Amino acid sequence: MAKKGLSDSLKKERRLGYLLVAPSLVLILAIAIWPVIQSFYFSLFDYQLNEPQKSSIHLDYNLDLEKYLNNQPFLITALEDEIETAPSEVSEELQDIKSTITSFDEELVQKDGIEGPYNEVNDILFNFEVPSDELKFVEIDRSFGEEFEQTFGSVEKQLVELESEDALQNARRLTGLASGLTESIVEPNFIGFQHYANNLTDVRLWRSLGNTFVFTFVSVGFELVLGMGIALLINKAFFGRGLVRASILIPWAIPTAVSAMMWKYLYDGQNGIIAKFFSEIGIIENMSVLLTTPVGAMASVILTDVWKTTPYMALLLLAGLQTIPTSLYEAASIDGANKWKQFFRITLPLIKSSILVALLFRTLDAFRVFDLIYVLTGGGPANSTEVISLLAYKVMFQQTDFGEGSALAVIVFVCVAIISAIYIKFLGSDLLGDGAKD
Amino acid sequence: MQKKAGVGFYIFLVIFVFVIMFPFLWILLSSVKPLSELFGDEAFTWFTSNPTIQSYISVFTIRPFHLYLWNSLVVATITTVYTVFVAAFAAYAIARLRFKGKPLILGVVLSVSMFPQIATISPIYIFLRNIGLTNSHLGLIIPYTTFALPLSIWLLVTFFRKIPFDLEESAKMDGASMMQTYFRIILPLAVPGIFTTAILVFIAAWNEFLFALVINTAEKYKTVPVGIGMFQGQYTIPWGEISAATVIVTVPLVIMVLLFQRRIVSGLTSGAVKE
Repeated sequence: MAKKGLSDSLKKERRLGYLLVAPSLVLILAIAIWPVIQSFYFSLFDYQLNEPQKSSIHLDYNLDLEKYLNNQPFLITALEDEIETAPSEVSEELQDIKSTITSFDEELVQKDGIEGPYNEVNDILFNFEVPSDELKFVEIDRSFGEEFEQTFGSVEKQLVELESEDALQNARRLTGLASGLTESIVEPNFIGFQHYANNLTDVRLWRSLGNTFVFTFVSVGFELVLGMGIALLINKAFFGRGLVRASILIPWAIPTAVSAMMWKYLYDGQNGIIAKFFSEIGIIENMSVLLTTPVGAMASVILTDVWKTTPYMALLLLAGLQTIPTSLYEAASIDGANKWKQFFRITLPLIKSSILVALLFRTLDAFRVFDLIYVLTGGGPANSTEVISLLAYKVMFQQTDFGEGSALAVIVFVCVAIISAIYIKFLGSDLLGDGAKD
Repeated sequence: MQKKAGVGFYIFLVIFVFVIMFPFLWILLSSVKPLSELFGDEAFTWFTSNPTIQSYISVFTIRPFHLYLWNSLVVATITTVYTVFVAAFAAYAIARLRFKGKPLILGVVLSVSMFPQIATISPIYIFLRNIGLTNSHLGLIIPYTTFALPLSIWLLVTFFRKIPFDLEESAKMDGASMMQTYFRIILPLAVPGIFTTAILVFIAAWNEFLFALVINTAEKYKTVPVGIGMFQGQYTIPWGEISAATVIVTVPLVIMVLLFQRRIVSGLTSGAVKE
């Protein structure tokens, strides 16, 4: 009896657990995980927002009924007009073309699911209104799509030939309408891994990846060493501790974009105080070096990042240091271990997991860097500070090429996954350690 | 902690704090300079002899900076309230209830918090554009869930774990239901942790740049980071206005940091340190 009661309450607890977690998991699935999967899907298409034919993704052939019906009937009329006046030889050929088009039209209407939208769009156009995108695009199967392309392709070709022979009176009108008809079919824009193949052979991608790695390693490296030094120094009781901690937090707390703008002013080639200072103490030749040369720009970006996040790193490490019992150091100094020995034998091993966690978060943040560089250098000069996220952003939102941009985004994602995997291998299960009863 | 701080140490501290604060100091000094002193030789003098608040005025008159502030405030506040609310339930369950798959769930939460934003942006942008939510507050609140929710869950789990388990046991003995235990016992004790989480989520949402840049392009819906990041003059970069705007957004942050520094530090380090 007692046992049954226990398992009942366990069951209840389990059900409640899933119930409470469910909303969060659904949100995460819908707003974070699903988009990543979709990004990958987008990357397999030639998907360009400002090209009407490629502005959505489709695996099948689509027929734009609006375009079709805006051209087909007028082409028939135009052909009839032409047939009346043309010499018999030409008129026979035109008659052939006309019957091809009409018989194709009959075939089209008989296809499954075409007739309804066909008539609807026709009515809408007849009333000089504009049909919705959902209505006007109908899917057609591959073989019929190819047949469509072939038929109207050859019609267009025939008319162009006749035009070049000067055999037509209204040549312009005829060829124009025919080409409108060929354009009314939208080919599937699935291209498989083409974007990846293009990107992976593109120098720009490798350069931006190189820039990202340089930025990540150098800035995180400096941040670790400086942060460690600061943490060790301020790990003691002193007057004004709160004030120091607050001033440490401020660079971390202000928006990266705002701090980037601030530093842009300090680095400015004419009015920047830091640029002036550096050139006066001889680190740089003249003030403009900082933002107008590749090395100067990269160094500037890194310096800003180090300024903004070293304090954060120091705080994380300081928290780790504070968990080490002082008795360990006392015992060590009684045994005659010097400061260095204490650092390498006691401090480092005990805060190893703190260091790794701090490094993991910082490396990923640095690898994903966007706003700092977007605002401070825009990726310049000559793409020397263009990091991979910035490149993906430019391709997506400046060239409106969502297919290729998504492919780049997926590459960023894969890199981030690899970096996390490496760290987590070192960290083991420490990160997810379950402190609760199980 | 026993080590005594010497004079050298304090000199180091002063230099350290000065280096960290120098950019802010310089921006503050620049923000009260008249326009003519921002360029040329006078650009490098520390104190202007003709302080003016002209830059502060033009930030609000020439530019819609009050709109930026309002948008950031609305988006960050709603994002914080709703994600922390949803996350509080999940975190409670993960930290204190017995059910299978918890490490997996926590693993998913942690991985999602590592997702690069750029990897989710194209579908989210297309989706928001199709349903007409670009250039709206909701259009930012929805994508902000991607980082705010995992962050909230992650922080709250560590806070919930710190509450003694005996309390729950005795509540159960007294016949309280599980939801009663949650609302009467656990939640009141978790308030400080929830508050800390809210501060950190608010800062993260307030500072977000990429989504805001891409989704809200209309001047009327820009947030502070994008607004300042895109400050452009007709011929020159308006350093005076940029400085003034920076000071305006930094001052509240400084106050917040001074007030809540202990909480912020405990939140920042809670996930990273094993106790």
